[in-house]
Amino acid sequence: MHATRDGCSRDSQQRPKSTEPIDILIIGAGAAGAALAWSLADTRMNILCLEQGDWMDPAQYPGMRTDWEVRQLSDFALSPNARGRREDYPVNDADSPIAASMFNAVGGSTIMYGAHFPRFHPADFKVKTLDGVADDWPLDYARLEPYYVLNDRMMGVAGLAGDPAYPPKDVPLPPVAFGKLGETIARGFNRLGWHWWPSDSAIVTQPYEGRAACINAGTCVVGCAQGAKASTDITYWPVALRRGVRLKTRCRVCEITVGANGMADGVIYYDAQGIEHRQRAEAVVLACNGIGTARLLLNSRSQLFPDGLANRSGLVGKNLMLHPYALVTGVFNEPLEGYKGPTGCCIMSQEFYETDRSRGFVRGCTFEVGRGAGPVLAALQGLSAGHLPWGPDHHHAYAELFDRTMGIVAICEDLPEPHNRVTLDPLLVDAEGIPAPKITYRLSDNSRTMLDYAVARAKEVLEASGAKTVSAEAPLKVAGWHLMGTARMGTDPDTSVVNDWGRCHDVRNLFIIDGSIFVTGAGVNPTCTIQALALYIGDMIKRNLANLFD
Amino acid sequence: MSDATPVFSTCEYRTLTCVLDTIIPPSDDGKFPGAGAIGLADAIVAALQHTPALQPVFIQGLAAIEDRSRKQTSEGFVGLSPAAKVEMLHEIALAEQGFFALLLFHTYAGYYQNGRVLEGLGLEPRPPHPKGYEMPPPDLTLLEPVRRRGKLYRSG
Repeated sequence: MHATRDGCSRDSQQRPKSTEPIDILIIGAGAAGAALAWSLADTRMNILCLEQGDWMDPAQYPGMRTDWEVRQLSDFALSPNARGRREDYPVNDADSPIAASMFNAVGGSTIMYGAHFPRFHPADFKVKTLDGVADDWPLDYARLEPYYVLNDRMMGVAGLAGDPAYPPKDVPLPPVAFGKLGETIARGFNRLGWHWWPSDSAIVTQPYEGRAACINAGTCVVGCAQGAKASTDITYWPVALRRGVRLKTRCRVCEITVGANGMADGVIYYDAQGIEHRQRAEAVVLACNGIGTARLLLNSRSQLFPDGLANRSGLVGKNLMLHPYALVTGVFNEPLEGYKGPTGCCIMSQEFYETDRSRGFVRGCTFEVGRGAGPVLAALQGLSAGHLPWGPDHHHAYAELFDRTMGIVAICEDLPEPHNRVTLDPLLVDAEGIPAPKITYRLSDNSRTMLDYAVARAKEVLEASGAKTVSAEAPLKVAGWHLMGTARMGTDPDTSVVNDWGRCHDVRNLFIIDGSIFVTGAGVNPTCTIQALALYIGDMIKRNLANLFD
Repeated sequence: MSDATPVFSTCEYRTLTCVLDTIIPPSDDGKFPGAGAIGLADAIVAALQHTPALQPVFIQGLAAIEDRSRKQTSEGFVGLSPAAKVEMLHEIALAEQGFFALLLFHTYAGYYQNGRVLEGLGLEPRPPHPKGYEMPPPDLTLLEPVRRRGKLYRSG
C-alpha cells in the first residue's frame, strides 16, 4: 500500500500493524540526527533512528576512479533531481532561482558537503536588537559555545586559533593546506588590507580518533574515500551504535501520527521493499533538513492538525532561507595547483560580514576560497562558458584555463521572509508515492544588493591577486545546499514552531533539531551550528527527562 | 571497436573516430594525442550502450556529416582535407545542434580522463585516491597583517 495523494493521512483503522513502542524515534541520520543519537545514547533509553537512505561504501566513492569528475553530473550530482537515486526524493525547485540540494544516506548531506565549518558570530543571534531586522534567537552564542566545542572535537575540526573575526576559541587540529592557490589569494587580501583566515574545516589534518589524515585528493564533494572528511557515518554513528542506538536504513517515513491527546504516538514508514510499517514511540525527533522536515510535517495532517502537524502558527514551511551564493572566478597567468587540496575550503574572509549600512544593505557575507577544477570539469566549464573551442585552437585555449582558475564564493545572509517557503507539490511524488516538496523563493532587494556588492569586492581581491580576467555568477543556481528557517525557534507559539530547545509548541513530545529551527541564517555554512543545536537539545532533553512532556 | 552490442557500423565508427580527431586534434608539440587516436570512440559507444535513447541522435548526426561530406568527396568525411573537416563540423554544429553539443560533451569529458592526456598535463595517470597529493604546510606568516588588526566581530 502506498501513500495517499492527500498526504498519507488515514484513519486509525487503516493503519498497519503496530510494533512495541520505543522511547525516542529519530527521523534522519544526517548531521543533526547522528549528533542527537550520540548525545542521548548514554541515557540507555530505547532509541531508534529511521533513515531513508543507506550506508555508503567509501571504497565505491567516485574518487577511486578517473571518471570521478563526470559523476558530479550524474549519480553524485548536487541536485536529487539530477541524481535520480531511489533513496532521494524529488524537489520541485522550478519557482526558485536557487536549486535545492540534499543527500539521503547515513551521514546525510555531510557525505557530499565541503566540510567548511565556521561558527555563527555572537551578533548573528541578535539581528533584531543590533540591526533592526528579522528576529533575535531565543538563545545566544554563549549558550551554544560548549556545544560548538564538543562538536568540533567529535567531528575533528582543523583550523587556527586567534581569528580576530571570532571570540577566542581553540581548534583541535592544524589548518588544511593553503597550497599555491591559497597563498596567492592570501597575498591579494593582504594587499587590500582585508581580513582573511584559514578556514575551520571538518577535515582531519592529522590522524585523529582512528581516521586517517587528509591526503589533499580534492574529492570532498563526492565523498571522502580517505575518511578524513567528517561525515557523520564515520564520526557520531559508530559510537552511537556501540552504545546501543539502533539505526534502520532504507526506511522512509510517510507520516507522524498523533493520538487523541494530541501527542505524537509514532510514525508510518516504508521499508526498502516498499512495505508499510508502523512504529510507535514515546517521543519523535525530526532531523530531516529544512525542506524534508517541513515536507513531513505538512504530510502529517489529521483532524487535530488539519494544516499539518505542529502548524497552528501557520509557519511550518515558511521563512525558507537558502544563502544566496555568488561565484566569482578569476583566471591567472600562472599554474595554481588548484586541483590539489580540500575542495570547499582553503581560506575565508569576513571583511564584509558585520552590518555596515553605508554598503546599502544590512547583514553581510563570508568569502570562501575554493579550489580549482580538475581536468574534466575545467574542460566542461570552459565549454559551457564558451572559453574552450574545439578544433585547432583547442590545446592552446585549454592550457590557458586548466589549473589557472580560482573561484571565490560569497555566502550571503538572506533574511527570513514568509513568502519564501516549502509546500507540497500537487503532482510530484517520490518512489513511494509520497507528495514531494516544492520550494518557492525570491531574492529580496537586500540580498540582491549584497550579492552585487560581494561580486564587486571578490573581483577586486582576485585582481589584486593577479587575475587577468574575472567572471561572476550570482546567484549561483546549484547552491541551495543550506536549508533553514521553515520551523523556526521562538518563545511565542503564535510566531514560532518550536521553543528554545527544539520542542514543538503544539506537540510536546515532538522535537525538531535540523536547520528548520534557525531563526536567521547568518552568513556562514550552517552545519556546525545545526549540530551544536542538536547536542544542546539533547542535553535539554536529558535534563528534563523526569517531566519531559509536562 | 567495442565488442559489445554494436552501436555503429564500421563506416560510422570510422567517421566518428575521424570527427573526434578533428574536435581535439593532436597537439603540434606531440604532448597530446588526438581524441580519436586514444580510442575515445569506444568510450562513446559504451556511453550510448548505457543510454540507448541517445543512439539515434548520434547515428543521425554522423549520417548528416557523411551525407554532406560525400557531396565533396566520395570518401566521405575521412577524405576531406583538414581545413575542410573543420569547416564541415562548423556546418554540423549549426545544423545538428543537439547532436553536436552531446558530441562535444562526451569528447571533452572522455578525453581529459585519459592517461596519456593526463600525463601531457603533467599529472599522474591515476584517480585522486588512494594516493592523493603532497602539499606543503600553510605559510602562517602571511597572517601577520590580519593579526595586527584586532577584534572584528560585534559582541552581540
